[in-house]
Amino acid sequence: MTERARALLEYADDELILGWRDSEWTGVAPFLEEDVAFSSISQNEVGHARALYEIAARELGTTADELAFDRKPDEYRSAPLVEFRRMDWAATIARHVLYEAADEIRVEALKDSGDEEVAGLAAKMDREEAYHRIHAQMWEERLRGEPRFQAALDELWPAAVAVLPEELRPELAARTGRDLPSNSLLLAHERGSHAEEWPALWEEMTEVRRSVPGAAW
Amino acid sequence: MSAREQEFVEYVQSGGQVEATDWMPDDYRRLLIKFIEMHGNSELMGVLPEREWILRAPTLQRKLALTAKVQDEAGHSQLIYRVVEDLGKPREECLEDLISGKSKFHNVFHYPTFTWGDVGVIAWLVDAAAIISQKALLKCSYAPYARIMKKICWEESFHILHGRDVVLTMMLGTDEQRELVQEALNRWWGPLMQFHGNPIPSGDDPMFHWRIKSQGNDEARQQFLDGYVPQIWELGLTVPDPELRKDEETGRWHFSEPDWAELKHVVTGHGPKTQERLELRRISREETEWVRKIVLAKAA
Repeated sequence: MTERARALLEYADDELILGWRDSEWTGVAPFLEEDVAFSSISQNEVGHARALYEIAARELGTTADELAFDRKPDEYRSAPLVEFRRMDWAATIARHVLYEAADEIRVEALKDSGDEEVAGLAAKMDREEAYHRIHAQMWEERLRGEPRFQAALDELWPAAVAVLPEELRPELAARTGRDLPSNSLLLAHERGSHAEEWPALWEEMTEVRRSVPGAAW
Repeated sequence: MSAREQEFVEYVQSGGQVEATDWMPDDYRRLLIKFIEMHGNSELMGVLPEREWILRAPTLQRKLALTAKVQDEAGHSQLIYRVVEDLGKPREECLEDLISGKSKFHNVFHYPTFTWGDVGVIAWLVDAAAIISQKALLKCSYAPYARIMKKICWEESFHILHGRDVVLTMMLGTDEQRELVQEALNRWWGPLMQFHGNPIPSGDDPMFHWRIKSQGNDEARQQFLDGYVPQIWELGLTVPDPELRKDEETGRWHFSEPDWAELKHVVTGHGPKTQERLELRRISREETEWVRKIVLAKAA
């Protein structure tokens, strides 16, 4: 697999799995407005994943759906941060804030990359991500004074750093005003390792598809 | 009845519409709140059976469509509760009454889902039955409700297309997939036939008297059968009712009497999933209570 395809899959897997996790709030968020907002963000993320998979799929001779559903759990390259099962609202917003901050840096780097196809998609994605960032900021302001929100930010910080490749991590630390965690602290959150609840999510998201292998749905 | 009330009745019965700030009889307001609140509750509870499948959607396209559909239902309940709020009952009170079992929601949302076949049949046929009732509300005498129904019907029409496509894809698939659809249809047919309610003559229906509703229950059911049974047959599915046939002379459908006792039992809180789904609502409200407190305190 080329470096390009590998990077596309990493990004697509993050967006796919986060989209899956965000959709867990559909119907049970603290406000009906947030049911609608998180469902909308979820659709954006899954849409981004699909567009990224499509580019990778052309290179790999497969389809976006096969990449999204038909790999084995250990073949996914998602960062553990996006795999955590629906947490409480404080941790959900903490993940949202941290992921959007990391994602902004990643998408900026892709917009400036020499790969025209990827840069074009990144620019398109960024137009939607801008709204996710506004939504994350609104909630960050609302929850700023809550100890449980601050605790969730601290707890998720190493996993958020591990979303980015090493060269982009100092920028995330600078923008969020936090110190980079030690390598030993990062180790459990690096790509290639998975959150404890990942296999259960994989089982669930592929359940219908695996029930009649090869069928159209 | 006072002269003013008499005049109001004549006004709505001749097609007149009422705005939130207009005078209205207490009975009218009370019935409106009850009816519209139940609609809002149904949209909100309707989220739950389908929500269980958002995480299991088998393709990216289905994932996007199903999330969008369920998002629409949540959005509809938000819109509808706002209309109830203008009539004098706040959203939080509606949610409390829903959870405590004081207010009701539509029969079809009290049942379990078992397979992806249910997802297709719900989106296609449950939404089809719902849109028939909702289209009739476009002429509702209460104008704010009639107005939001335009947006709701427009969105629901996409749900039906999504549902039909899910069903069609499975019917064109393997025997196993076709069986999933047929089994789901067998499960949903009874509740679908009960959906539009007892065939009370429209003259005896207070909702019709005030022109909140503009069509009788049995009319809605006939319209549903006329629109969808031919499509169901065309896809190669069997409707699980040996009595079902259309009388070509009268143009009316004959069918086995729907189980009205089941309908009553289910909507009064005894459906197979009623308590579990209300419990989920209770728990998720409790878990997120602190968030609402913070936000509302800041807004105050």
